[in-house]
Amino acid sequence: MARERAGSGLDNQGELIAVAVQSIGTYEFPSRSRQELYGDDQLVHVLWRNNEMFCAAACFRAPRAMTWAEFTAGMVEPWAASDPSFVPGSTQAWILDDDPFSPQPGMSLASLGVGHKSLLTFEA
Amino acid sequence: MTSEATDVRKVGVDLQEATEDTRRVVEAIERDNEDATVSYLPGLVKIQAPGRLVVRRQTVEDLLGRPWETHEFQLAIVSYYGHIAEWDDDEIVIKWDH
Amino acid sequence: MANTKKLSMKQRYSALTRDLDWESSYVSEEELFPHTKFEGIKIHDWAKWEDPFRLTIDAYCKYQAEKDKRLYAVLDGFAQSQGHLTLSDARYLNAMKLFLQGVTPLEYQAHRHFGYLARHLNGPGPRFAALCQSIDELRHTQTEIHTLSNYNKYYGGLHSWSKMHDRVWYLSVPKSFFDDAISAGPFEFLIAIGFSFEYLLTNLLFVPFMSGASFNGDLPSMTFGFSAQSDESRHMTLGLEAIKFLLEQDEGNVPIVQGWIDKWFWRGYRVTALVAGMLDYMLPRKVMSWKEAFELYFEEQMLGGLFKDLEFYGITPPRHVEHAIAEKDLLSHQVYWTLYSFSFAAAFTTTVPEAGERAWLAEQYPDTFNTFYKPRWDKAQAIIDGGGRFFFQGLPQLCQTCQIPMVFTEPGDPTTLCQRHSVYRGERFDFCSDGCKWIFDREPEKYVQAWMPVHQIYQGNCGGPSVPEVLAWYGIQDGDNGEYTGSLDHLDWRRWHASEPAVASTTKES
Repeated sequence: MARERAGSGLDNQGELIAVAVQSIGTYEFPSRSRQELYGDDQLVHVLWRNNEMFCAAACFRAPRAMTWAEFTAGMVEPWAASDPSFVPGSTQAWILDDDPFSPQPGMSLASLGVGHKSLLTFEA
Repeated sequence: MTSEATDVRKVGVDLQEATEDTRRVVEAIERDNEDATVSYLPGLVKIQAPGRLVVRRQTVEDLLGRPWETHEFQLAIVSYYGHIAEWDDDEIVIKWDH
Repeated sequence: MANTKKLSMKQRYSALTRDLDWESSYVSEEELFPHTKFEGIKIHDWAKWEDPFRLTIDAYCKYQAEKDKRLYAVLDGFAQSQGHLTLSDARYLNAMKLFLQGVTPLEYQAHRHFGYLARHLNGPGPRFAALCQSIDELRHTQTEIHTLSNYNKYYGGLHSWSKMHDRVWYLSVPKSFFDDAISAGPFEFLIAIGFSFEYLLTNLLFVPFMSGASFNGDLPSMTFGFSAQSDESRHMTLGLEAIKFLLEQDEGNVPIVQGWIDKWFWRGYRVTALVAGMLDYMLPRKVMSWKEAFELYFEEQMLGGLFKDLEFYGITPPRHVEHAIAEKDLLSHQVYWTLYSFSFAAAFTTTVPEAGERAWLAEQYPDTFNTFYKPRWDKAQAIIDGGGRFFFQGLPQLCQTCQIPMVFTEPGDPTTLCQRHSVYRGERFDFCSDGCKWIFDREPEKYVQAWMPVHQIYQGNCGGPSVPEVLAWYGIQDGDNGEYTGSLDHLDWRRWHASEPAVASTTKES
């Protein structure tokens, strides 16, 4: 009866396999942050590497169909300008999750492979 | 469990530095615990002793000049560390179990 | 009558607690206490539970009444003498705003859940101890509200704390912590709150707040704090008894309890991060640094004392504790910088530490402050000198477990933000640390439900898409938030202390 909670394992896709929460009834709830709750949009995280003024990455809600150019000019740059030393147009060396990333300005976030809660980082 | 004499773990209590009564309790603890050290933070008296700390009703009563029941210690105590090994009519003992 | 000998404490305790219990005959024990099996904990003999305080209901009422009498005498005297004018500075109250918004509602939740334990634990000893704690926690809620209500007449940020607790982003940190605990089983709750929070970490929460209050002229808060804390030592005892009892009852309980200690140490530690920021930055007169408090109350007393005692049962210090120790030079700076960056959306104000405070911080944190944190304060000051004020103009990425913005750095590298994530049912979840990721990974079904303030704003559940709409929904009013210098509290304070005439025309004139 006593079960040790050794932690969950990973399947061969690197996804978590859950061990059931001990409970007095069925324990089945959907994620409260799942993509479908944002309609045609999704959340995107953006981190300015080596900038000491921003304590954390920013979180944006962006349409999946938004182009890279619209995303950087309309969302990332106004936020980055919180730091007065930011120079518009100076973002470079982008990384999407763990891989170097050279987006074409006219392509959409979805077609560039930017997913729900993806992490984009840059230097300026 | 064998423990070297050099490694006696401390126990302690923090008391409010609020009333005349508490000052007598601190004095009683100092009297009954030779190795106790007393330090002060704003509003607070911190008493630490190696291994064991005892509060004796008789000593407190002698210093207060009135009856004092050990439950009254609850009015003064802010925090402690160690294990309350005994709390009866005559004394309160704090020490580690193991 | 004259010959009746008074019962000893032990006899009174036995007569008034255990002797009042009876065995059920109409229903089975399992039907009467249906919640004490499903967590896998085995209890063979509930009578083995010890209550070292040997507290009985008559003694409980007598001493609690005395504590309240003393407290209310102080509150009355302070209010009558316009005591608020003798605080070290109006900005000191930011610490108490954080306390009222973040901690007082937890006291009420504790009241409710210890009431549940007082019904649901099988043994009369632990049920009575839980009942006393339930009443204590209600007393704490009430005395904290009464104490701080006096300041609410004069200062911002103290008016809608209960609503704010349910809604505001930084308050989701303590709220979600406690919700996590009360939605667990009764034994996990005992280890989560009774042991990990009350015994391991409560000193780090209360003692710095109360010594800070004492040192900054806040006699009422100091008094309620110590009054509450005098109950706290009983709660610590309940927590310590709970863990020893579970460990002694069955060897099979040991790994379950160890898992809970590992989880709840880290959960509680992340909540105390707010205390770290308060202690080092919000108190105009400093008492002790977070680092010093952590070393004294956690490293020396808990790791050096308590965990040596628990070794006997095969219990080891909490998982990830080495990260907490390594963070003690960084934590308060990272947290307060975050509060500074987002205080436009908070029900307190923040400001650049004054020169004397910066010198103190450099002295307390010789290895980190001047190297990593002073430069950003210098830059923040330069922005102010240029007529601006630095704010993070956007919403931050949050940790799915602790819900704090992901502001913590890689172990061993204070300049790189720590990023961890897991994928569960095809969705990515982000974490601020190995500790928070580990907690999620062992119960992802629980944490995917988290009410993440940033995500909720973006889903349109917080009053609207713009900052003013969200602030209105939070209950934040003009004067509650933003920069301290030039705030309503600041201007009023200067006006009330006539030697420093108010400069701005926005000051309320009588």
